[in-house]
Amino acid sequence: MILAVTYDLWSFVSENWEPLLRGLGRTLLVSGIAIVGAFVIGAVLGAARAHRVPVVSQLAAVYVELVRNTPILVQIFFLYFALPQPIGPWPGVRLDVFTVAWLSVMIWGGAFNTENFRAGFEAVPYRFREAGLALGFSKIATFFNVTLPIGGRIALPSSINTYIAVLKNTALLYVISYEELTTVALQVNALTLETPETFTVLAVVYLTLVWSLSIAIRQLESHLALPEER
Amino acid sequence: MRKLIVVTVLAAVAAAVVTAFGVAATSGSAPASAVAEQGALPTLPAEIRRRGRFLMGVKCDAPPFGYINVRGENAGFDVEIARWFSRYAFGRPNRVSFVCTPTPAREPSLTTGRVDMVIATFTYTRDRDTRIDFSRAYYQATGRLLVKNDSPINSLANLAGRTVVTTSGSIYDRWVRKCYPNTNLIVTDNFTNAAIAFNQGRADTLMWDDTVLVGIAAADRNTKLTNDKFLALPYGIGIRQGNTALVRWVNSRLELMRKKDRFMTILRNNVPARFVSAFSRNILRPRAIFGYAPASAPAAETVCLS
Repeated sequence: MILAVTYDLWSFVSENWEPLLRGLGRTLLVSGIAIVGAFVIGAVLGAARAHRVPVVSQLAAVYVELVRNTPILVQIFFLYFALPQPIGPWPGVRLDVFTVAWLSVMIWGGAFNTENFRAGFEAVPYRFREAGLALGFSKIATFFNVTLPIGGRIALPSSINTYIAVLKNTALLYVISYEELTTVALQVNALTLETPETFTVLAVVYLTLVWSLSIAIRQLESHLALPEER
Repeated sequence: MRKLIVVTVLAAVAAAVVTAFGVAATSGSAPASAVAEQGALPTLPAEIRRRGRFLMGVKCDAPPFGYINVRGENAGFDVEIARWFSRYAFGRPNRVSFVCTPTPAREPSLTTGRVDMVIATFTYTRDRDTRIDFSRAYYQATGRLLVKNDSPINSLANLAGRTVVTTSGSIYDRWVRKCYPNTNLIVTDNFTNAAIAFNQGRADTLMWDDTVLVGIAAADRNTKLTNDKFLALPYGIGIRQGNTALVRWVNSRLELMRKKDRFMTILRNNVPARFVSAFSRNILRPRAIFGYAPASAPAAETVCLS
């Protein structure tokens, strides 16, 4: 039978809130950097792919396939454990744990976001772009004035999925001992063995976090919505 | 039809011969003698007897105690103790299913009933004793610091401002947090990741049990151990709290193995010859017994040196 340990959530929180709060701060920091980075990567590479820019669009395709077809855990391990090993001509590059943390999640999010934005930009009917070009806009100006406003709005809902996934994937950083929320919680659990309390706190905090993020982005979406769609 | 019968009989004979060889090769001593020498000792708890095999938690990345050998089998000092228990209980060394339990997983796997017992470099502490039961002590280990040959760290006194790596939830984790708060502590979820972090220079020193670190220092000529020996704490076999029948069974068999000097044989099987005499001071022998610190002494991981 399982030991009947008392479940004392309040004393667990009051004793351990400091490291957990620091962990939460780091989760937000890494997710913030990664979400912004994923947006930029997605917009730029998505545009390159949608407009069939030579060289860039092929390289982007390779990047997307590589990242989408490997597990993110493998990518994190690769950046943290494999990159420092000198192999043949590769001298071995040791990145500190914070760099690996935001870089791995950002690269992952960027790949998925590239496809989101590519789909969004390609969904802009060609006649709108033709109209822009006919009005005398250059290709770049057409992109910024026609394709981006419309295609970006189309891509926004699927981007929400990606940003939420980026936030949740920061939990995987426990395997490289980056002291974000999940890592700290598991360490506190290993020291205090108050497992039900630990996972209750983790679940509640992540639920709150991810829900807030998705509400925030949906507010953004409705704020940006075109007048006739309101 | 006749050919079929001949082929079937030959196949059966061949299978019997192979099985007989297999049993003889793996048992080390004939099954009957292991069972017979037990006489009137405590009997195995009914639940395990019914199941017909042990579920053992062992380390899978901590040579020479628990690791996976080149053939993909569990091997090591702790693993061989488990096989001796299997011989005592069932007459064969293979009536064990091994579960890998790295440091933070040992207690939860006992409290949730995933394993019958944990033989995984499990240091006895009074704090752990409040949640699980321990057998008698079977191995006396100390903590050591592993450093690179050119490291500025010569002893525990140099730790201030340096980076130490160890496993999460271990006695070293607690001890460093308490006694060396001005070091940068990295804790990993298993020993392999701690060793990799040390190898890659992410930490200045690796703090862990002497037995595993000696093996690493011996294999990697760029590393060495400092002279500090601390947290000399014996390993015990972890058993779910309240399972007194199994504790009695385990203690009686450990005593039997001690009297027959079986730990020395196991040590010789698992440790290179040049380390055997040093480690022979750490095991139970017919003329050497050790136990846990008395209950009145403070828990070792809460006591800071100087």
